[in-house]
Amino acid sequence: MENAQLLNEGLALMALGMGFVFVFLTVLVIVTTLMSKFIGRFFPEPAAPLPATGRQSSAGRQDEDLVAVITAAVHRYRKRRRR
Amino acid sequence: MTDKLLTLWVGSGLYNLSFGQAVMVLVGLVLLWLAIAKKFEPLLLVPIGFGGILANIPEAGLALSAAEQAAHLARPELLERMAATLQVNLDPAAGLETWRHTLSEVLHGDTSPALLRAANDAAMDGGYAHGMLYQFYSVAIASGIAPLVIFMGVGAMTDFGPLLANPRTLFLGAAAQFGIFATLLGAVGMSAMGWMDFSLNQAAAIGIIGGADGPTSIYVSSILAPELLGAIAVASYSYMALVPLIQPPIMRALTSLQEREITMTQLRPVSKLEKIVFPLSLLILVVLFLPDAAPLLGMFCFGNLMRECGVVERLSDTAQHALINIVTIFLGLSVGSKLMADRFLALETLGILALGMVAFAIGTACGILMAKLLNTVSKMPINPLIGSAGVSAVPMAARVSNKVGLESNPHNFLLMHAMGPNVAGVIGSAVAAGVMIKYLG
Repeated sequence: MENAQLLNEGLALMALGMGFVFVFLTVLVIVTTLMSKFIGRFFPEPAAPLPATGRQSSAGRQDEDLVAVITAAVHRYRKRRRR
Repeated sequence: MTDKLLTLWVGSGLYNLSFGQAVMVLVGLVLLWLAIAKKFEPLLLVPIGFGGILANIPEAGLALSAAEQAAHLARPELLERMAATLQVNLDPAAGLETWRHTLSEVLHGDTSPALLRAANDAAMDGGYAHGMLYQFYSVAIASGIAPLVIFMGVGAMTDFGPLLANPRTLFLGAAAQFGIFATLLGAVGMSAMGWMDFSLNQAAAIGIIGGADGPTSIYVSSILAPELLGAIAVASYSYMALVPLIQPPIMRALTSLQEREITMTQLRPVSKLEKIVFPLSLLILVVLFLPDAAPLLGMFCFGNLMRECGVVERLSDTAQHALINIVTIFLGLSVGSKLMADRFLALETLGILALGMVAFAIGTACGILMAKLLNTVSKMPINPLIGSAGVSAVPMAARVSNKVGLESNPHNFLLMHAMGPNVAGVIGSAVAAGVMIKYLG
């Protein structure tokens, strides 16, 4: 009889605990998503300062592309090396 | 002359070494060997193993309180005084040895803290002092401080970027906590079948091993079942070290090659402001829904805020390195103090080790199954392998996901994707711990 009660308590704690963990993390997912959206809309990361002339701007963009490509390549290379 | 030699011999460690203590010294040596030769969580197993050896030195009583030492060594007058404070009757006809035995039993049993304090005071008046490891234990673990400070350090080391870029991975961290509760049920079931004798509190503390989170398990068992702390901490840290052995077979069994080859889309960049606001919003949720998880998650969020806010580099650096190292030393030694022969060498310990393994396996499996479910409903592809990282064990579990993923597709780097569920697992197990403490504490 006592054993059955212990088992019941265990089952209750399991249902309650698992339920609560899921509810809490679901709320956290919602809050985080909303927070990210809100920040993305109202406080966007300051964009790179705009250069004055068109010519410079295109050169700047090329530079940026180049940097991005190189960063990605370096990143990948390092990752592979680290293994 | 022979009398003096005899006294020396009677006072020696060899004469007093009990069988259990010898076994525990061996256990301590095995832990040291695992740490040094096999590199199993050396940062913790070295102090734990060494503390375990220290705790089992015969006659030294390093892990005993003043009252326990007095019960073992004191003169009859002091024993009588302690018996009076503990409100026990010592049978005058029974010999001194029986008295000592009765007193030790009472001190280990369910005696109220007030009486224990009084007995300790009586013993201290008689010239006995707490053992060194006992002091460490009461300062570091019984007060709850060491696991919490470590949690702050872990917070300061955690990058929530991957989680913020893909918040749905939090579900994986939630699913993996099923291991905790399944193990709790397992422990309760074992008691119901009459194999072991675990109370619900003890079962809950054992279950937390499935969270694969050392500080959390120590924190929970120090509150719910301090008598099992040694076994639980050892099980929890050994299984964390065994993650790369336990997880991959389960991961391969539950996924098809096709699923393991899924490449995930690049994570979006996360702004600095998001990273600063996240620990604060997590803290607010804890305040609103589960104040019992506040010690653990509060310290975690505090550590993370120090890291991300960028204005307290020095504090964040201390929390991540110097402080966490100091606390780890005392935490390890204190856990070692709980490896005393008369309490560790019990059938229950084997049960705990077995249940811990099951907890781990179930947690891993549930994380993967949840990831498969998410993959079918979500637009973005999700590789089920990252689900196994939901059992905290940062960053080992994420590395395992990455490794198994690379086996199937050498160009598929899952590490960053797996870090999301990995830190979600830390939050998940802290929430589970809060629920347990709320329900049983």
